[in-house]
Amino acid sequence: MDPSGIFSTSYARDRALIRTRAQWVALALFIGILLIYPWFASARLVAIANLMLVTSIVVVGLQITTGYAGQINLGQAAFMGVGAYAASVIEVKAGLPFWVAVPVGGLVAALAGWLFGLTAARIKGFYLALTTIAAQFIFHFMVLNLPSDWLGGVNGFSLQPAQLGAFVFNTDRSLYYLFLVVTLVMVFGAFGILRSRHGRAFVAVRDDDVAAGMMGVDVAGAKSRAFVLGAFYAGIGGALWAYQVRYVSVDQFTLFNSIWFIAMMIVGGLGSLVGALIGTVLIRGVQETITSLGPDLVERIPSLSSDLIFASMNVFLGLIITLFLLLEPKGLMHRWNILKANYRLWPFHH
Amino acid sequence: MIIEFINYTINGALLGLLYSLVAMGFVVIYRASKVFNMAIGEMIVLGAFLLWWAIQSRGMHPALGIAVALGISVLIGLAIERLLFRRLIGESVFSMIMVTIGLLILMRGLVLVIWGPQERQFPAIFPLAPIILGEMIIPRSLAIGGLIAVLAAVALHWFFNRSRTGLAMSAVAEDHQIALAMGISVRRSIAFAWALGGVLSVITSMVYLSGKSLTVLSSEIGFAALPVALLAGLESIGGLLLAGIIVGVVQGLTAAYIDPLIGGNAAAVVPYIFMLVVLVVRPTGMFGWKRIERV
Repeated sequence: MDPSGIFSTSYARDRALIRTRAQWVALALFIGILLIYPWFASARLVAIANLMLVTSIVVVGLQITTGYAGQINLGQAAFMGVGAYAASVIEVKAGLPFWVAVPVGGLVAALAGWLFGLTAARIKGFYLALTTIAAQFIFHFMVLNLPSDWLGGVNGFSLQPAQLGAFVFNTDRSLYYLFLVVTLVMVFGAFGILRSRHGRAFVAVRDDDVAAGMMGVDVAGAKSRAFVLGAFYAGIGGALWAYQVRYVSVDQFTLFNSIWFIAMMIVGGLGSLVGALIGTVLIRGVQETITSLGPDLVERIPSLSSDLIFASMNVFLGLIITLFLLLEPKGLMHRWNILKANYRLWPFHH
Repeated sequence: MIIEFINYTINGALLGLLYSLVAMGFVVIYRASKVFNMAIGEMIVLGAFLLWWAIQSRGMHPALGIAVALGISVLIGLAIERLLFRRLIGESVFSMIMVTIGLLILMRGLVLVIWGPQERQFPAIFPLAPIILGEMIIPRSLAIGGLIAVLAAVALHWFFNRSRTGLAMSAVAEDHQIALAMGISVRRSIAFAWALGGVLSVITSMVYLSGKSLTVLSSEIGFAALPVALLAGLESIGGLLLAGIIVGVVQGLTAAYIDPLIGGNAAAVVPYIFMLVVLVVRPTGMFGWKRIERV
């Protein structure tokens, strides 16, 4: 809903993502803050921000598949892993630069997404959820059991830092800018896709696929496109992840990670791109706080062990998912939208 | 050679029956509540830890320990219904699955907090000595487990397809709203489902872990049993036995003959590939219900 007094006088205005001058200012300020952030934050905080940026790309992809197109995907971490491994193979075996490796990572993951999207065209609901779990297990198996000079086996891959011409992205700060640019492009791309006819088809399929089919939406096509897109985002995120940690191994991409991604999406709000970003930042923030406060706590209270910290992370994740689904199933963005609508309508109710 | 083959086949089939016992946990809860319980592996581990706590740690007589564990897990099942699923009646498939996944992680966390990650020796509830028939060696707990699986399948099949209460529950599995409109208590049905799921998971844990070591990672059997439930179709209890035997035998033979060739662990993933093929060819499984969709 627009603030009062704002009327779209042309179709282009009606479709615009940024609708008022205040929104332009807010966006410019926000990006400005993101740009100067690494000069004020400590190295550790910049590294955390890098992880958040990478994760937010992956969660935005999941939001497209699950939040917009309604296709449950419990294998997002596997697609991320496919991207990370594809980029590593390109980098380590073929020696190509990162600006080839990252898009290739995305494309290979998209191919994997397409394969699983094929099943999504036929099945739905929890059967689909189970297929994507199978993706997770099959990915794990492929990496561990293919000959180890192909995909590194249990040892994984070590990568060289990303390089652009003579410039080497070997500090967290330089990587931050790289990731920020990629994330901005990916997020704006997602906004663009979701307001196009494909995005509207996704929403129609999510709300009722039988009805959407009768309205002339290509349901099977929309579902498989949603999977391809979501997996592409996961692949790009995975490839960037590979350059951030510079070491890729199979236990970075488990079912557990996929569930974390879903938790981020639920907390932020299903069917909202901004929600995906907010959920990512919040959950990653809490995760990092627990892991960095953990050793401190163990030192102060010796009866706690580090196992307990890990276990409490589980309890936290489980509680977050169940409580949000029970109490606030539409996520934090829903609350925010209510607040915004009330503010704009005040003092009226409707 | 041929004896070896028979041996692998029989052991595979018995392992498959264990899978079908685990999968019965999925199907029983699904058949009475339309909830697909991803947390079944965690429920089994929880049941196992309750048994371990009662028998090994408190030193109760096994029979008493089993009774106590059964009682507690029924209470936990009822609590799950009261706290979570009563609020979700009529909600979307996505919420239901995600809540059971949340439950999975929560239970794993709680087990870790209460009992820790150490390995525990699970009490030998069934005698450890294997059954030896000629040249065939059959683990006794698996053999008894197979028998239990068959008995449980027969009893549950009768209950859900013949008895009045069971048929009412099947209506709940078809559609919550319609069941409510027909005067069936959806709440009671879901509560019963989770209590029954608790009982089944304690029984399964006895078969699965008798005399072995128990850790929080033992819950992996829950995901290993997924392909069995899907192959049978989520609504069929009798079909589980056949599906379990098929998956078990395929897995056993892969482990015996293909793994040495490729030098890997193909047996772990064969059931999932099998499951994918089944889902693509026949999404409702061998004996599942076909649904007609209307706008």
